[in-house]
Amino acid sequence: MSESSVPYSTHRRVQAFKGFLRQFLGHGGAQLGFVCLVCFLVLAAVPNILVGPLQTAVNATGDFLVPPSGQHLLGTDEVGRDVLNLVVHGARISLTIALLATVISLIVGATVGMTAGYFGHWADVWLMRLTDFFFVVPSFVLALVITPVVLEVMGRGRDILGFRPSIFVIIVVIGLTSWAFVARIVRSQTLSLKERTFVDRARVAGTSNLSIMLKHILPNLVPQIAANGALVVAGAIYVETSLSFLGLGDPLQPSWGTLLALAQRAGAASAGAWWYLGAPGICVLMVSLSFVLIGNALDDTFNPRRRVIP
Amino acid sequence: MPDTGDILRLENLEVHFPIQGGLFDRVLGRPAGVVRAVDGIDLTIGHGEIVALVGESGSGKTTVGRVITKLAQPTAGRLLFEGADMTSVRGLSALRPYRHHVQMIFQDAYQALNSRHTVFDIVAEPLRSLRLVENDAQLTERVSEALAAAGLNPPGDFFARFPHELSGGQRQRVVIAGALAVRPELIVADEPVSMLDVSIRAQILQVLVDLRDKHNMALLFITHDLPLAWLIADRIAVLYLGKLVEIGSADEITFNPRHPYTVALRDATPQIHTDADRSKLPALQGEVPSAARVPKGCRFHPRCPLAFDRCRQDEPPAIEVGPQHLSACWLAN
Repeated sequence: MSESSVPYSTHRRVQAFKGFLRQFLGHGGAQLGFVCLVCFLVLAAVPNILVGPLQTAVNATGDFLVPPSGQHLLGTDEVGRDVLNLVVHGARISLTIALLATVISLIVGATVGMTAGYFGHWADVWLMRLTDFFFVVPSFVLALVITPVVLEVMGRGRDILGFRPSIFVIIVVIGLTSWAFVARIVRSQTLSLKERTFVDRARVAGTSNLSIMLKHILPNLVPQIAANGALVVAGAIYVETSLSFLGLGDPLQPSWGTLLALAQRAGAASAGAWWYLGAPGICVLMVSLSFVLIGNALDDTFNPRRRVIP
Repeated sequence: MPDTGDILRLENLEVHFPIQGGLFDRVLGRPAGVVRAVDGIDLTIGHGEIVALVGESGSGKTTVGRVITKLAQPTAGRLLFEGADMTSVRGLSALRPYRHHVQMIFQDAYQALNSRHTVFDIVAEPLRSLRLVENDAQLTERVSEALAAAGLNPPGDFFARFPHELSGGQRQRVVIAGALAVRPELIVADEPVSMLDVSIRAQILQVLVDLRDKHNMALLFITHDLPLAWLIADRIAVLYLGKLVEIGSADEITFNPRHPYTVALRDATPQIHTDADRSKLPALQGEVPSAARVPKGCRFHPRCPLAFDRCRQDEPPAIEVGPQHLSACWLAN
C-alpha cells in the first residue's frame, strides 16, 4: 500500500531540533556569539562566587587607579575598587535589564503587530500610526525624557525583587521604546499568514479570532520573533549603556554604562586609566556583538529559502 | 417562496469586489470599477443531493463556495439555509449553528493544514470551537470516527502525526475528516481532488459518495472537470464569468448540452477513444474575459462560435429546455 503509515515518535521532533542546531551552529558567527554569550551568562549568574561581593568605597581592597596587576587583574578605580569585581557584577545588571526589556518589547510588538495585521482596517491604521510615532521618535531621546520623570514620581526607594526601582524604570522605558521595529515585522508576516488556507479552515471550523491568532498565527511567527528578538537585545544593551552613562542608572547597582559614567567623571581618560574605561566598554561591545551574530544566524537558519523542508 | 425542502438556496447572489482606484483616478473623479466575481446566480441544493458547480478558472466558482461557507459576504442576493435567511448573519456565536451544519473541504491540503498542529488537533478543532463535545473521551471518539470515515485506518495511528509526515492523499483525507467531524448536513468541496494523483482521486471521490449514501449529506462539488462532475453529481451547474449558463441533471448536461459553452467544455475533454461524440463546433478561442470588464449582451458572445447580432445586444435569460434543464442561450429553443 502506497499510503503506508509511518509510526510517530517524539524521536522525529528531537531530530528536527538537532538539525536546526546543526545548521544554526554551522555559522562561524553564531558559534562565536554563542560561546561569548555563555561566558557572560555564567558571570552574570554567579558573580559572588567568582569575584566576591560587590565592592563599595567602604570595602574597597586596593589603591587608587592602580593599573592591571596580579592582584587586580583589571586594575582599580578612583576609590580603590577592583574593576574586575565591578565589571562582573555589572554583567548581571546589564544583562537583566537588556533581557527583561526585550521580553516587554517582544510582547508589546507582537501583540500590536498581530492585532494590526489580523484585523486590518481601522485597527491597522491607528496601531500603525502609533507604531510610526515610536519608530520616528528616537527611542533614546524618549527614554531620556521619560526616565527622570518616572524616577521623580516613583522615587528611588526600596528594592523590587532585589533590584532597585530605577532599574525597573529603565527596563520598562527601553521595552516601550523598542517594540516598533518588532511590531512592523510581525504585522507584515501576519498579513501574509492570515490569507493562508488554514486560517480560512479555522474560520469555517468556528474558531474565534483570538484562538486563530494564538493557535494558528503566533506559532508561525516564532522564527521571526526569535531572530529579531536577538537584535532587540543588542539594541537594548546599547540604550541601557547610554542611559546609564548619562547618569540615569543606579549608582548602587552599577551596570556597565554606570561604570563608564563613573570612569568618565573620575577623569579616567585624561589620567590614562585605560583599564577603567576599557573593561566595561569592551564588555558592552562583546555582548551586543554576540547578540547581533546570533540574530543574524537565526535569521539565516529560519530563512525559508535556505531552510531544509522538514 | 414556499420552502421546497431544499437545504440551501441561493437567490440572485451577487459578489462584486470594488477595484481600488489610484489617487490620480480619485482626484479626477473617475468611477471606481468593480470585479463582478459572481453576478446574480440562483441555485438550490436538496437534502442529500450532490450538485457540481463547473467552470473555468476565473468563473467565480470558488467565490460561490466562500459565500456559502460565510468566508465572503455577498453584495446582493440571499443565502437561505433550511429556509432561514443567513445572508447577513455575522459574528462567531450567531454563526455557530450554521457552521455546525455547513463545512468545507479545501482544494490544497498542503495549505489547508497548519503544519504546526497534529492530525488530532486539526480534526478536533471544529469540535472544540463549536463546543460539540463535553469531555475528552467524547472528543477522541468523534475524531476517531471522522478519521475512519475519511479512510484513515486505524485512526489512532494518525493522532500524533504532523501534516508533513503524511502523503498527499492522506492529507486530503485529514481535511475531509476535519469537515466530517461535526457531522454536517452540507459540505462545500472546492476542487477536492484536483491536486491529487489520478490513482488516489477515485478513493477520495468514493469517500464523498459514501457520505451521501450513509448520512444523506448534501454536497456542492466545485470543479473545472466536466467528466468528473458527471461521475459524482446528480445535477450540474455550469458557471461562466459569474453567471450560470446552464443547469440540469448530470446526464442532460453531459450528453445533451444546450449551451455552446457547455458543448465547448465537453469537447475540450481529452478522450482516448473516438471523436464520434464530438460536435462539429470549433474549439474555444481565447481566455475568459476579465470579470472587471464583462462583455455587453451575452457574456459568452466574444468566444462563442455561434454568436449572432442579438447575442451582442441582449443578455439571454435562463430558458427551460427540458425537465429541470435551464440554458441561458438565445439558441436554446
